[in-house]
Amino acid sequence: MKNKITIGPQHPALKEPISLRLTYDGDIITDADLRLGYTHRGLEKLAEGKSYIQNLYLTERICGICSHSHTTAFALGVEQLMGIEPPKRGTAIRTIIAELERIHSHLLWLGVAAHEIGFDSFFMYTWRDREHVLDILESISGNRIHYAINTFGGVRRDIDQDQRSTILEQIAHLQKRTEYYLNLGKTEPTLTARLAGVGKLSKEQAIDLCAVGPTTRASGVAQDIRKDDPSLSYPDVPFEIALSDTCDVLGRVVVRIKELISSYTIIEYLLKNLPDGEIRVKAPRKVPEGEVISRYEAPRGENIHYIKSNGTDKPERLKVRAPTLANYPATVEMLKNVFIADVPLIFAAIDPCVCCAERVIELVDSHTGRPEIITMSQLRTEANNYYRKKNIRNKEYLWPW
Amino acid sequence: MNAETLSLRLQESFGTLAEITVTGPRRLICKIASDQLKSVVTRLRKEFHFTHLSTISALDLTDRFEILYHFADSELCLTVRTEISRETPEISTITSIIPGAILYERELQDLFGIKIKDIPDNRPLLLPDDWKEGNYPLRKDWTFQMPLETIPGDDHSEK
Amino acid sequence: MLERVVLWARTKSPWALHLNTGGCNGCDIEILAAFMPRFDVERFGIQLKGTPRHADVLVCTGPATRQSRDRALRIYEQMPDPKFVIAVGACAMSGCVYRGSYNIIGGIDQVIPVDMYIPGCPARPDAIIDGVVKLLKKLENS
Repeated sequence: MKNKITIGPQHPALKEPISLRLTYDGDIITDADLRLGYTHRGLEKLAEGKSYIQNLYLTERICGICSHSHTTAFALGVEQLMGIEPPKRGTAIRTIIAELERIHSHLLWLGVAAHEIGFDSFFMYTWRDREHVLDILESISGNRIHYAINTFGGVRRDIDQDQRSTILEQIAHLQKRTEYYLNLGKTEPTLTARLAGVGKLSKEQAIDLCAVGPTTRASGVAQDIRKDDPSLSYPDVPFEIALSDTCDVLGRVVVRIKELISSYTIIEYLLKNLPDGEIRVKAPRKVPEGEVISRYEAPRGENIHYIKSNGTDKPERLKVRAPTLANYPATVEMLKNVFIADVPLIFAAIDPCVCCAERVIELVDSHTGRPEIITMSQLRTEANNYYRKKNIRNKEYLWPW
Repeated sequence: MNAETLSLRLQESFGTLAEITVTGPRRLICKIASDQLKSVVTRLRKEFHFTHLSTISALDLTDRFEILYHFADSELCLTVRTEISRETPEISTITSIIPGAILYERELQDLFGIKIKDIPDNRPLLLPDDWKEGNYPLRKDWTFQMPLETIPGDDHSEK
Repeated sequence: MLERVVLWARTKSPWALHLNTGGCNGCDIEILAAFMPRFDVERFGIQLKGTPRHADVLVCTGPATRQSRDRALRIYEQMPDPKFVIAVGACAMSGCVYRGSYNIIGGIDQVIPVDMYIPGCPARPDAIIDGVVKLLKKLENS
């Protein structure tokens, strides 16, 4: 018996507008479809009418969670067109903020994923720890979100000795908390049982569908722009790419936790070896003609900006492709032949930055053709009840640490 | 393999079909004619292992459109450029070779009005349901005038 | 007498519904952070609900895009009276950096009537709590 479901536009945790249309047969999803466009703000057209400095603030507001990734990619591209290079201290500060953003984004995602499976106390823990990261960012830049630390030629604010020692203390505290989370998986078998085996995406599928970020690294594809196309201070810092080969949601959790741990070591290394000198150089107002492609590893994957300039102070063309858009075809593939109860978790596992989407799911009754709108929270409650009744302690999946 | 070595190998392999230039330490450009697109992309994928398509951009050069396909492998970034006419903007799809290109091609159709031949899914991607046909926002000759806003509270009585 | 009890219940424990009509998510995560252990707005009795039929207060973020206009109107109509709308962030107030785009109508007050504006880009959780408490006081005094 085939039916279609449309889940309505409210999602109590992290509401972003996207419309998912699922066709189901009994308990299993047979087809999935996406409707984008709710957050289409016409940025590329707006950018052609604003100057480069104004575009720096416009690109920052593409996304609230990964805002630094968009300004850095834009600033790196424009600096290449201008032919200037920021000083080493400025680049190091940019990299520190980038890694801090990665930490806060992964902690946010861990909380949201825990909320999807009904583990609300974990949600509260990770968001409380995230507040420490936001405190650090506020002490450096002045704002918790949208830090606006980048400018053409370097950064706007410096890190002094007091801030350095505070940041190192907070990072040590966060390291202890992350170890606590690692041990949680050993003592809570339901955590592993809910996450493992769900949302499978094989290595060939990940390559064919051009997936990016932790979604593809969890399927064994070693793609990380910090190693493939290095910029900022990454060539000077020793670190490893986080990989997993389980191809499911548990693999994505593992990859993100490994990235958290490597981010702590990168920040410590950079703070202990912070180069002296200036933090910015002067940049010209008009940008010479040319075009550039700038790639950056955002917390969710590869962020690519294509900028073409025509010699004036406004860009000729700005093209932005945020990482979540690249993961959508892979998501549609992952949602086929799964239980309805797994839908909230699989969708959350790609770490959707819908603003980079609205989590409105539309379940359409395929028999009668009548759309039945249920909210994501109702779907989540039903999913959690389903798994509670199913008694999943019999599964033999192991927590990897 | 660095960019210079790869550019020599590519020029040797494609001959007169493509024009290869190196524009940066890890950036290459490959200029081709629009009807060679599918064969070039297939060969890049099979012989040179450029399997990852980052995105597809388009430029409006007043008298013609230029479409750029940004490919990447684990070291370099290669852009395939091709031009099409503005009166009949058409190009063939590459989703048969790279299935992940579908959303980028739908976006091109929406925002530039470029017709993609044999595309498996023809629906609009980004524009709202009540958008009028024939309006392609990212073309240079399409402008938008913001309508007048109503400021609430101007003529309302006190609550 | 019954009306006074109902008003007391509404002002002492309003239930909120969160709607994002197309923003960058910055204000959304600050609203969620207001419910987390550091700021904890649930001690004022405010709860986040999933459906418009249970909500007293609609918390809006993001500029009004053309696609989400009908959705916002439908949700506003589904809420029972008396209802209040809070516009959080510069985007919901006037469109912030996106004014002039072809897909943006403006702030959310072009679509539904708003009772309280909370500025900021994004609005801090402290500012959100301040705004909500002021709205509740205004209700009590009305």
